[in-house]
Amino acid sequence: MSNKKLVSLFSILFLLVVLFFYLSNTYTSVEIYSMDTVIDIKVWGINRFKAVKDIEFEINKLSALFDDFSPNSEVTLINNNAGIKPVKVSYETLDIITKAKDMYDKTDGNFNIMIAPVLKLWGFKSGDFRVPEKSEIEEALKLTDINDLIISGDEVFLKKKGESIDLGGIAKGYALDKVKDIIENDNVTKAVINMGGNVFVYSKNNNEIFTIGIKHPRENGIIATVKVKSGTFVATSGDYERFFEYKGVRYCHIFDPKTGFPANKIVSATAITKTGYVGDVLSTAMFVEGKDGAFELAKRLNASCIIVDKELNVFYTDDLKGVVSVENR
Amino acid sequence: MKTGDKIILIIVILSLLVGIIVKEIGISNTSTKFVVIMADGKVYEKIPLIPNLKPSTIMVKSKEGYLYVEIDNGKVHVLDSTCPDKLCIKQGWISNVGETIVCLPNRITISIVGGNESVDSISY
Repeated sequence: MSNKKLVSLFSILFLLVVLFFYLSNTYTSVEIYSMDTVIDIKVWGINRFKAVKDIEFEINKLSALFDDFSPNSEVTLINNNAGIKPVKVSYETLDIITKAKDMYDKTDGNFNIMIAPVLKLWGFKSGDFRVPEKSEIEEALKLTDINDLIISGDEVFLKKKGESIDLGGIAKGYALDKVKDIIENDNVTKAVINMGGNVFVYSKNNNEIFTIGIKHPRENGIIATVKVKSGTFVATSGDYERFFEYKGVRYCHIFDPKTGFPANKIVSATAITKTGYVGDVLSTAMFVEGKDGAFELAKRLNASCIIVDKELNVFYTDDLKGVVSVENR
Repeated sequence: MKTGDKIILIIVILSLLVGIIVKEIGISNTSTKFVVIMADGKVYEKIPLIPNLKPSTIMVKSKEGYLYVEIDNGKVHVLDSTCPDKLCIKQGWISNVGETIVCLPNRITISIVGGNESVDSISY
């Protein structure tokens, strides 16, 4: 081989190595609009374009199954056939409803996907907010009995007419679990996924530390940060996301399934878990429970949590000592 | 391969290396400010804003058109643009966190971030 050829061969090889290094250290960032929210996807590594495509496909698929606003979703089908007949559903729908029912038990009923009739009553489905009469709330609560949600084989059935399910408190976390599988299978080096406030971080390097900000409930910016490792899910439920005010009282979109009233013990609850759907559900249940109940839940379900009370004090579980830092106010 | 080709190749490799080194420095230093360029709603480029860096020009392309951004010694401006109103050029240099240049016709924004933006993501 001539000297010239060797030089050019070496140059090309070198260029390829540099290109490889460059590609594996840059990231792709896209925003997609699905599941009624903004999903911010950042993926590092050579395989990132395939991963982003796969993630987008999966999220759109789940959204098509779970969205109770869409007339063709399986959840809508179940709701429309309440009191009429069981509906045959896909694996994913069956899986998420089974998990949701299980989480009802694990949270002592503080998370209930049957709460939809109550949300409807208060106007959270239509946007025509109002404070209903006590008697109306009692009537609506009769349609939220989890035992009326029957799962048998691959069929789901709501016993009474007027009953309906709403996967809003679990769907994002569940989708993030699927995203995690894709990220691991697609062999990416690093990923940060933010699905409408539910965050998942991943890195091939197990020592990599991610810093996640917790939104300030009353201002722009963040109230605290938490340092987490790869494979962690961070989910927050707050009273600032969707709410209305009537006669000086704030009514938010997270309801206490036992009273039929919006939960108002605290202003923000963050659950830190190793499973997406558990975190999504826990942040909601913790928000309903308030500080003491939240800490108890965290202990029982092996999760960590950060609570912001009405005076904007920040509390967190002992295992987060040293990794949470509260911003100066 | 002619001498000219080799020179071009070497220049390409060198500029790639410089780019990577600059990027690595930026990533390792979280307290630096960043220039975030968005085109068509997506992050086009995020560049650490380091003082004493040699001036560099970046072409930003969106579906509507393109413009040239110049970064020089901790500040940023739009050098030239295909937009009809040239408002982005008239906005001049920006250097403080929170400042943004918007080119509406081209759907391109150039903003400077830092401080709270040092977090990887925000849970809400």
